[in-house]
Amino acid sequence: MWRFFAAKGAQYLLVILLTVVLNFALPRMMPGSPLLFLAGEEVGFLSPEQRHQLRALHGLDEPQWRQFLAYASNLARGRLGYSFQRGRPISQMIGERLPYTLLLAGTALVLATLLGVILGAAAAWRRGSGLDLGSLGLAMLLESVPSFWLGMILIGVFASGLGWFPIFGAGTPGISPAGWPLIVDRARHLALPLATLTIATTPGVYLIMRYSMLAVLGEQYIATARAKGAPELAVLRRHAVRNALLPVATVFMLNLGFVASGATIVETVFSYPGIGRLLYEAVLSRDYPVIQGTFLMITACVIGANIVSDLLYPLIDPRVREG
Amino acid sequence: MCSAIVLVLVLAAAPTSSGQAGPLRIAIGRDEGSLNPYTYQTGYPGWNIMTLVYEPLFTPDADNIPRPWLVRRHTVSPDGRTWSLTLRPNLRWHDGRPLTADDVKFTYDYVRRHPHSRWTPQVRSIEGVETSGPTGLTIRLDAAGSGFAAQPLADLPILPRHIWEGVVEPRRFNDVVGSGPYRVAEIREGQFYRLTANETYFAGRPRVREIILPIIRDATVTFTALKAGEIDTTSRPLSPEVVAEFEKAAGVKVVRGAGYASTVLQFNFEHPLLKDVRLRRAIANAINTRLMVRLLLLGFGAPGSPGYIHPDSPFYNPAAAFAPSKTRAVQLLNEAGYVDRNRDGVRDAPDGTPLRFTLLTLAGNPIRIRAADLVRAWLRDLGIDATVVAQEDASIIAQVWPEFDACKGRRFDMAVFGWSAPVMNRTTSLRDLFHSDCRLGTLNIGGYRSAEIDRLGAALTASVKPERQKQILFEMQRVVAAEVPVHVLFYQDGVYAYRSERYDGWVYQKGLGIVNKLSFAGPPKP
Repeated sequence: MWRFFAAKGAQYLLVILLTVVLNFALPRMMPGSPLLFLAGEEVGFLSPEQRHQLRALHGLDEPQWRQFLAYASNLARGRLGYSFQRGRPISQMIGERLPYTLLLAGTALVLATLLGVILGAAAAWRRGSGLDLGSLGLAMLLESVPSFWLGMILIGVFASGLGWFPIFGAGTPGISPAGWPLIVDRARHLALPLATLTIATTPGVYLIMRYSMLAVLGEQYIATARAKGAPELAVLRRHAVRNALLPVATVFMLNLGFVASGATIVETVFSYPGIGRLLYEAVLSRDYPVIQGTFLMITACVIGANIVSDLLYPLIDPRVREG
Repeated sequence: MCSAIVLVLVLAAAPTSSGQAGPLRIAIGRDEGSLNPYTYQTGYPGWNIMTLVYEPLFTPDADNIPRPWLVRRHTVSPDGRTWSLTLRPNLRWHDGRPLTADDVKFTYDYVRRHPHSRWTPQVRSIEGVETSGPTGLTIRLDAAGSGFAAQPLADLPILPRHIWEGVVEPRRFNDVVGSGPYRVAEIREGQFYRLTANETYFAGRPRVREIILPIIRDATVTFTALKAGEIDTTSRPLSPEVVAEFEKAAGVKVVRGAGYASTVLQFNFEHPLLKDVRLRRAIANAINTRLMVRLLLLGFGAPGSPGYIHPDSPFYNPAAAFAPSKTRAVQLLNEAGYVDRNRDGVRDAPDGTPLRFTLLTLAGNPIRIRAADLVRAWLRDLGIDATVVAQEDASIIAQVWPEFDACKGRRFDMAVFGWSAPVMNRTTSLRDLFHSDCRLGTLNIGGYRSAEIDRLGAALTASVKPERQKQILFEMQRVVAAEVPVHVLFYQDGVYAYRSERYDGWVYQKGLGIVNKLSFAGPPKP
């Protein structure tokens, strides 16, 4: 047992070290320089000495390996550094965005999983029925719809058309409500991005659940259960759904790790201040420290989810324990 | 849950609070830092919003002519090297401390020591600043400063010495105590800014009580929000295809004015074929810029002037006008010996090199991509083969303008590129764009060389009289038009929409737009 954990731990440590190196290298391999974004639009008017001074200020004039050492040693002391562009501590920037992303992407994942499981199970249970064929077609369709387009449609219908929801943002700017009005305001702003993301995620879960359920329904123990005279609902719930859930659980755990990476497209369309947008904008402006910090945080979350999943899986699937 | 639903409905139906002076919601496209001179991001609207908080001594008027603002009197010595300024009395920082000549001296010195791409080059020519009393200033320059009133006087915002004195890393300093008509009340990064009026502003109470600047990344969403009344205007110009829709919309007014941002076909002067002026002229003749304006901008723009300067600018030389002609293009190519020698449909140079080029353009800008494609098609008609390559911003810069340093060379053939509006407004813009010395021709990304431009550029820098400057600029435009180091395709008009029932006091600043200080405050009484 200890050996198992030690091996796992070493594995994760290796992944994290590798990520630190990649995080450093990849942004710097992109063409383009952070100088414009450090300096603003009139960068062309700077003298060579001033350019040099500006680069030196951010350590960009040092050889790459020294920049890496500086980055790694800061990291070892728990410092993510400062954003080139905003001049703010990255941990603070991530800390501000993370709650929005967790709220949006986390809720969407839970909702999509619930919906996908219910619809997938129902479709498989009534295989070939109108419900099955209709939901299958719809899932295929939604699966292939780009989420920015879906978001635009929802904005067009429910925000600018019916006026039920705001068009952009995470809260009404300029008012500082508290208590219920605050929750309502946040919820209204969350509604459309959440709907978009949920609609975009559900088909994947639905399809997995449906196929998994179909496979389970063909198993002999289902026939046995029926032969025992178990009521249909009990067969469905106790024997079929439970077993069919395993692949969904795996996918859920995988997705859970990625919740922290946000939903770049949906966040951009709805001007929602999450991690996805932070990362996207950092990439566009070659803000290396923010790219590094954010990716590291995401990696940590994915690994964290993996650890949890490694620990939980034996509880969900007894066969793993024996194997 | 039920009560929540009721509340949602109530809030959805509640009318937005109205009032004659705001709050006004102006959407911007991206984050602008903490809105101080070292953290704001964009030339427009970033600078314009930042100068609501931090003020330069002068302010550009609607025609971009620098006008005294914090300054009550000013005189320039006959040689143009000594500027004497008297500040207005009783200027105050937002924290109540007096704004004095000492702050000005401090600021001009501070930006020299802490490099900033916009401010630092502006104070390069300053030899010394002397103060006399709290309002008197004498600034000495190392040479006559033709553009001194525009930059730094009307551009560089004054910093409060008592706050910035000890700041060594200005880019990590997020203080926002300024002297302008607005105070920064709230910043939510990635979400919005909230500014409130400085009720004791020296030039009178600002005309809008509160300004909210939500950040909306997506253009379509911005326009949807404006139509739905969720915002009152935006710093984003309307895309040509939505203008008609906004002109019809109730409660919305549309203003239109010249735009000084340019879209150009940039030639690489170091390319063995493109250094031939006859080839460049032939290419320019093949491009129907008038049709481009109609097709791509739906008429909301002006065809490019061959001398670079926009026709609405006071410095425009009408003699440098140009009418493209395909016949002329063909004639030029034939005369220069560019004919299709191997019958493959592409003309070849006398030495046999085919006229094949790549044409770089920005992937994120649909208008530029379509412009590049039109250029490609017209060149094709002429027997010149151009391949359009669209890439993202940073990649284009890496090839066209490596590290934003014209001295670092270039690796491209042709590019559909563009310059922002402030480039047009600089007195020295033509020198910056075309001077052979890359340290002066900081924007000469094509590596163009011309002794005549260099001579004129030197004369321009040394002149202080507007009439003389104009004369020199006319000459420079003539040279540029004849030699075609770039071919200006068009200038897109600034078309802006706003909800007039919310606020109707907007001032269109030529070449830029409506989000500027003149729309909200002043001008101060003389």
